[in-house]
Amino acid sequence: MAAVGEALGIGARTDRARRGPRRPGGARGAFGILFAPVTLLIVLFLVPFLIMVQMSVVKFPPRTDSGYTLDHYVEVVTNPLNPHIAWTTFTIATTAMIVMLLVALPLAYFMVFKAAKWELFLLLALVLADELAPVVKVYAWQVILGRNGILNWLIPGPPVEWLLYSSFAVILTLATTYITYTTIPIYAAMKAIEPATFEAATDLGAGWWQQARKILIPLAAPGIFVAMILVYIPMLTDFVTSDIVGGTGSYMMGQRVRDLILGEGNWGTGSALNFMLLAMSVLLSLGAYRLARLNKIDA
Amino acid sequence: MDRGEGVVVAIRAVESPGLAVGDVGAAARWRRRRAVNAWGWRAFLAVVGLMLFGPLVILVLFSFNDSNVLAFPLEGVTTKWYSEALTDSVLRKALANSFSVAFVVAPLCLVLGTLAAFGLTRFRFRGRGVIGGLVGAPLVLPWLIIGIAALMGYARADIDLSLKTVIATQTVCTFPLVTAIVAAQLFRFQKVQEEAAIDLGCSRLQVLWHIVLPHIGPALAAAAIFAFAWSFNNYEISAFTLGFQQTFPVWVYSNVRSPDHTAIVNAISAVISGGQVVLIWFALKLMRSRSGDQATTEMIAGTEAVAAAART
Repeated sequence: MAAVGEALGIGARTDRARRGPRRPGGARGAFGILFAPVTLLIVLFLVPFLIMVQMSVVKFPPRTDSGYTLDHYVEVVTNPLNPHIAWTTFTIATTAMIVMLLVALPLAYFMVFKAAKWELFLLLALVLADELAPVVKVYAWQVILGRNGILNWLIPGPPVEWLLYSSFAVILTLATTYITYTTIPIYAAMKAIEPATFEAATDLGAGWWQQARKILIPLAAPGIFVAMILVYIPMLTDFVTSDIVGGTGSYMMGQRVRDLILGEGNWGTGSALNFMLLAMSVLLSLGAYRLARLNKIDA
Repeated sequence: MDRGEGVVVAIRAVESPGLAVGDVGAAARWRRRRAVNAWGWRAFLAVVGLMLFGPLVILVLFSFNDSNVLAFPLEGVTTKWYSEALTDSVLRKALANSFSVAFVVAPLCLVLGTLAAFGLTRFRFRGRGVIGGLVGAPLVLPWLIIGIAALMGYARADIDLSLKTVIATQTVCTFPLVTAIVAAQLFRFQKVQEEAAIDLGCSRLQVLWHIVLPHIGPALAAAAIFAFAWSFNNYEISAFTLGFQQTFPVWVYSNVRSPDHTAIVNAISAVISGGQVVLIWFALKLMRSRSGDQATTEMIAGTEAVAAAART
């Protein structure tokens, strides 16, 4: 992986020539400056992960003198509950993803090509919506979807029960929570499209659907994939949303890990499952990183 | 063809480029479709805005409602929930904890994040890619996974969980955000100016003080506000590294399903969210004050894209 600044430069132009010549004596200066942040990252971030891996292979964690075993991984794979929870998590996350793409694609298109002076305002509003306390945002949906909530007040007839504490509530809330992260990489990718492309297509007689299918989506594809990966990672481990607005039918992987560790105190199986989620997240983010680079080369 | 009609056709054709000359009806159709489109977009944006900010507006509405039950229609205006929230001792302790954690985490992140940004953008050295990856990792990995690893790390090292452990883990997970914002600013900053200053006899410190800081100052301020908000709002890391105390998000979490506290949760959430709206909007304006609109959109797009997975 390259420097974080470069990794973060998705869509942003980072001119190599501007950065100046390589400094031969750079390593010493860099060491002094980077010593504190890197040491802290190693001690407080990297080492805990190694300890977690160790916990997942000792017989009776947290006692490390009890001998090593792979039983916890076997338990994760063979417990019939886990595939079921994994499937629930996957379907909920995927449905939320589809909903978000259906909103994010037109939204990003509007911001780049139609919004004009409102573009920055919309972008700032999206970031603002994202920065507010997640727990409070999720809680607010309880007020709307509840048995006596606004929706049930507006809908005639007896109260609709499945609005809250259901997969529906989890999907809706997840979609509103992560819409910022879905929209912005797509927006960044669309920024690189020349508006004249659409004018040319219009002149040549292409309708809006043809333009979207043949120009917009193929050119924004790297951004769409990056957005999907970056949003899948936190959705697959989300437990706040399904805790607050979910029901028994929407028990997700994040809740499972949390309950194994904090509820049952089963550190072995919890760590094993957590390590598998970690491995999946790392693989997904490396994929996103590669796609982001491809995106930059294209632009 | 009558000459008058020809002129009309010509004018219509100029008004709406892209139409075949001579097609009079198409011009009107085109204009009508544009109007429909505009209304379609407005409706779409209104729905999106409602989904994003509607819940918070409802929260504010209910915080003034003269009933502890979350039911429509509203029953009258009261401010008693606000005064009750302010006198609730558990809530006050949780708020105090959140503020003291965030007031320690944000400055620490500012220093560490800026150092990392300088080291990564201003020096070339072997292993730079690995260090960049290490700094970026806490932004991409889910907080649940990080929180659990931290819990095990502290247990293994025999460190009792407390606000200190929360501060330690939050700091290492939040300073990369500052690095991202500051590095984005350093990337666009002309290094030539730094070199010119050195050629003209400035010391390293003078360069930092007179050239670099004024340029990245607004980004630093914005980054500090973001770090503060991340720390204050964080539930996942706090939940695993907290021990017996409570922070504000943890307090909300433990009260959302208890009917006695519903109205108080609404009131305090409204206050906190309102304060954050003002603060974060201010931070975003700051980011914009130095760089133009174009640079701001690029910076936010770049920063946010990778900060993406950091929540949860």
